[in-house]
Amino acid sequence: MEGKGKLVLDAGVERAYEVLLDPSVLEKCIMGCKKLVLVEDNKYQAELSIGIAAIKGNYSSMIEILDLQEPNHYKLAVKGEGSPGTVEAVGVVDLTPDGESSTLLNYSYEAEVGGKVAMVGQRMLGGVAKMVIQDFFKKLGKELKRIEQSA
Amino acid sequence: MDKVIGKAVTRVEDMRLLTGQGKYIDDIGTPSQTFQAAILRSSSPHAKIVSIDTAEAEKMAGVKAVITGEQVKEYLEPFSVGVSAPVQYYPIAIDKVRYVGEPVAVVIAKSRYIAEDAMELIKVKYETLPPVVDIEGSLEKDAPVLHENVGSNIANHRTFNYGEVDQAFEEADAIIKHKYLFPKYTATPVETYGIIAHYESSEKQYTVHANFHGPFVIQAIMAQALKIPSNKLRIIVPKDIGGSYGIKAGTFPYMVLLSVASRIAGCPVKWIEDRQEHLSASSSGTDRVTYIEAAVKKDGKVTGLRMKMIDNVGAYIRAPEPACLYRTHANSTGAYDIPNLHIDAYAIMTNKLPTGLIRGYGGQELYFPLERIMQKIAFELNLDPADVIRRNLIQKDQFPYKTASGGLYDSGDYIKGFELALETGKYEEFRKKQEEARKDGKIFGVGLACIVEPSGSNMGYITVALTPEERAKSLPKSGCSEAATVSMDPMGSVNVRISTTPSGQGHETVAAQIVSEVLSIPSDKIKVVAELDTSTSAWSIASGSYSSRFASLGSSAVFYAANKVKEKLMKIASHQLNVDESELELRNGAFYVKSDPAKKYALKRAAGSAHWNPLSLPEGMEPGIYETYYYSIKAAEPPDENDLINSSVTYGFVADLVTVEIDPETGEINILDYITIHDAGKLLNPLIVDGQIFGGLAHGLGGALFEELVYDNKGQLLTGSFMDYLCPTAPEIPNVTIKHIETPSPMTPLGAKGLGEGNTMSAPVAVANAVSDALSPYNVAIDTLPLSPNRIWTLLNEAKENNHKEVTI
Repeated sequence: MEGKGKLVLDAGVERAYEVLLDPSVLEKCIMGCKKLVLVEDNKYQAELSIGIAAIKGNYSSMIEILDLQEPNHYKLAVKGEGSPGTVEAVGVVDLTPDGESSTLLNYSYEAEVGGKVAMVGQRMLGGVAKMVIQDFFKKLGKELKRIEQSA
Repeated sequence: MDKVIGKAVTRVEDMRLLTGQGKYIDDIGTPSQTFQAAILRSSSPHAKIVSIDTAEAEKMAGVKAVITGEQVKEYLEPFSVGVSAPVQYYPIAIDKVRYVGEPVAVVIAKSRYIAEDAMELIKVKYETLPPVVDIEGSLEKDAPVLHENVGSNIANHRTFNYGEVDQAFEEADAIIKHKYLFPKYTATPVETYGIIAHYESSEKQYTVHANFHGPFVIQAIMAQALKIPSNKLRIIVPKDIGGSYGIKAGTFPYMVLLSVASRIAGCPVKWIEDRQEHLSASSSGTDRVTYIEAAVKKDGKVTGLRMKMIDNVGAYIRAPEPACLYRTHANSTGAYDIPNLHIDAYAIMTNKLPTGLIRGYGGQELYFPLERIMQKIAFELNLDPADVIRRNLIQKDQFPYKTASGGLYDSGDYIKGFELALETGKYEEFRKKQEEARKDGKIFGVGLACIVEPSGSNMGYITVALTPEERAKSLPKSGCSEAATVSMDPMGSVNVRISTTPSGQGHETVAAQIVSEVLSIPSDKIKVVAELDTSTSAWSIASGSYSSRFASLGSSAVFYAANKVKEKLMKIASHQLNVDESELELRNGAFYVKSDPAKKYALKRAAGSAHWNPLSLPEGMEPGIYETYYYSIKAAEPPDENDLINSSVTYGFVADLVTVEIDPETGEINILDYITIHDAGKLLNPLIVDGQIFGGLAHGLGGALFEELVYDNKGQLLTGSFMDYLCPTAPEIPNVTIKHIETPSPMTPLGAKGLGEGNTMSAPVAVANAVSDALSPYNVAIDTLPLSPNRIWTLLNEAKENNHKEVTI
């Protein structure tokens, strides 16, 4: 499964970049994220709880941030494993300044699922991925606004 | 007593089934202290197991044991398989997983809830390996190999030449060839697998209750895997099995797994499979690629056939595979008189669920290419498909007919059956209607299929997987034995014990009909016991419910056992009346002296005296009335040195005519009429017959239109629930007209042949032929199934875009 999209963030490119990679922000914004712990540089261990179709469950995931080109580009590699099956995903994020206090974000992703999630949830997966991503950016937007206001 | 055999008697089973008193595996109760099992399964199609951490799961309250492959292995040998490739198949992954759903660990706990929760705490580390899922891809040089010690993905390969094949092709007016793919699909019994296994260390014995219906040759395979004498594995099959359609033969690896789990955990264990497990990890039909080539004369007469068949048996070859390749070996040329035949047969392994028995087993895979090519011959030679079939059908005066590959078709009148199908379906009239409809932009089509329905498998056929030289090294296998016991108690009541493990086919009813007629006792006074217990029942390697063998074999064993009882009772009556046996006749429950009907001796009294007054019996006669008959048919010989094999003992005939209309906007297929003509010899109970035919047809239509176990190219199963694995339901079943002709089998005492699988074999191709016929103006032909609206719509639109360039799937 793959997809892509774009949106505008109400922050300058540097601020946007910084917030996007802030673990405390990520923990708040990733749907179902119960815990996010830095295990080594640019590598996080995450506990996610998410339901895809009838398959609900916990995934223990490794999130790695790669290919860092501050403040314009990075890559996210996610490997999750849990009772409902496995998820492997790669996301690419590109940031371009769009005026001083606005940034254009382009993203693309590829994801593969295995086990029960594939057996029962495959049909729903595209929709679920879209929902998770949209939810992430919605929460991120709010978070950015909060940070901008408090700054 | 009137004739009872052949009457549409209502089923004795139905009262208990309809009032909730059926005795299925989940109804029979468990020994005290029985624990429940849940099975952790692989989510990876191909990976090395690096480690399994069970510590957390074991700590959970209520968990009795967590068992992994390494522990299980200690008590097992790999299952023996009928091929020379050294595939090591255990019921649980040992160091590698090879399909999604393969068992990796078993949790034994107080309840299934606890077991499932504990399962989530097991941590398995995998090192993933590249998977292979495509049939022909598995044969490529750089394909990932599933079993390193085998060296390739080929589990079995054999080549057969019968007659003068090359000559037939040299002398042909035309050679018509094509490639077809029959997909992987399954049967979906309402009841899933269920097992209660108990190891008793005091007796070193495994007792296993399971809804397993044979073939009971697998009891020997299980005992061998468990490394115990076969009488230390007692299998008990409940009275009722909630459908199987072959799939439950695949219960056996789980019976062995749960047996060992009981031994390790030290308690009886119970496991009821859930639906996801059933779809992903029970068993399925075999997907096959066939390259078929026909040598044809101008008039459509086929003189030779070449078939390269590649069967995908999934991740492990296991019993009874590669039988899908060989079950129909004798009837490889179907209903046609084709003397020259070449077969190149492969069984290959990929990262998919292992396969096994399924209704029609091998038939649908064979007839899909065979009947598709018959239609293609007609289209390419500009002939009517009905004429091509007529020209090739075996004629009535050719019976008993010897096929190219060694089959002995016992009886039939194929032309009569086929003409009845054309007449009932108003073939000529439909052709005119079709022409008119085309003018209005409507898409109508008619499909024909004629198939031979084999029944009563010869246990020797599976050894065709070995070369004659390999076979010579072991003892020959033959026969198709079935046993039945008829007894009478001191009050003269009759009990019948059968070993055909019915899964809904009404064997109890038909057995009672047969005994009723032989002993002249009303059938409702006869009790039939269908539970099989390998420690107390009369059974043999062929026993069980598969290959439609009850009508040809099970019923014959019952018939002869009842006759043994009758003979004994007649001897008693003759002794008591002091007249010769030839002077006696049995009617209305008594032996009458033919010349003096006033003199009679009640059957009940004869039976009673064998119990109450054995000293009154004729000199040398044993007391009691308890007769077992083991039945087999001589025609079930082992394969000979030329690989000639009569793989079944009786052969029925089915002629189908199906008409369809296709919606050009949506690609949806609407079946207008389904006509099916059956010749299954003498019918034992026409009511049950038509029920069986409807069931088989529904399954066949499922295969034609809806059902497929879909895997993505990474080896993930995408159809793990009924949301994605579509089965036909009542509204999807079209108008069906069933008609019968009866040419009795000379092989069986009652003239009966098996049935119920025929339309599962014929419907997929009959519908594919109808759709190809409908779409012929667009140059669209069907090469694979199922025919979903999506597939038809895509084909139709590609064809329109390509401006009538030939398009196939």
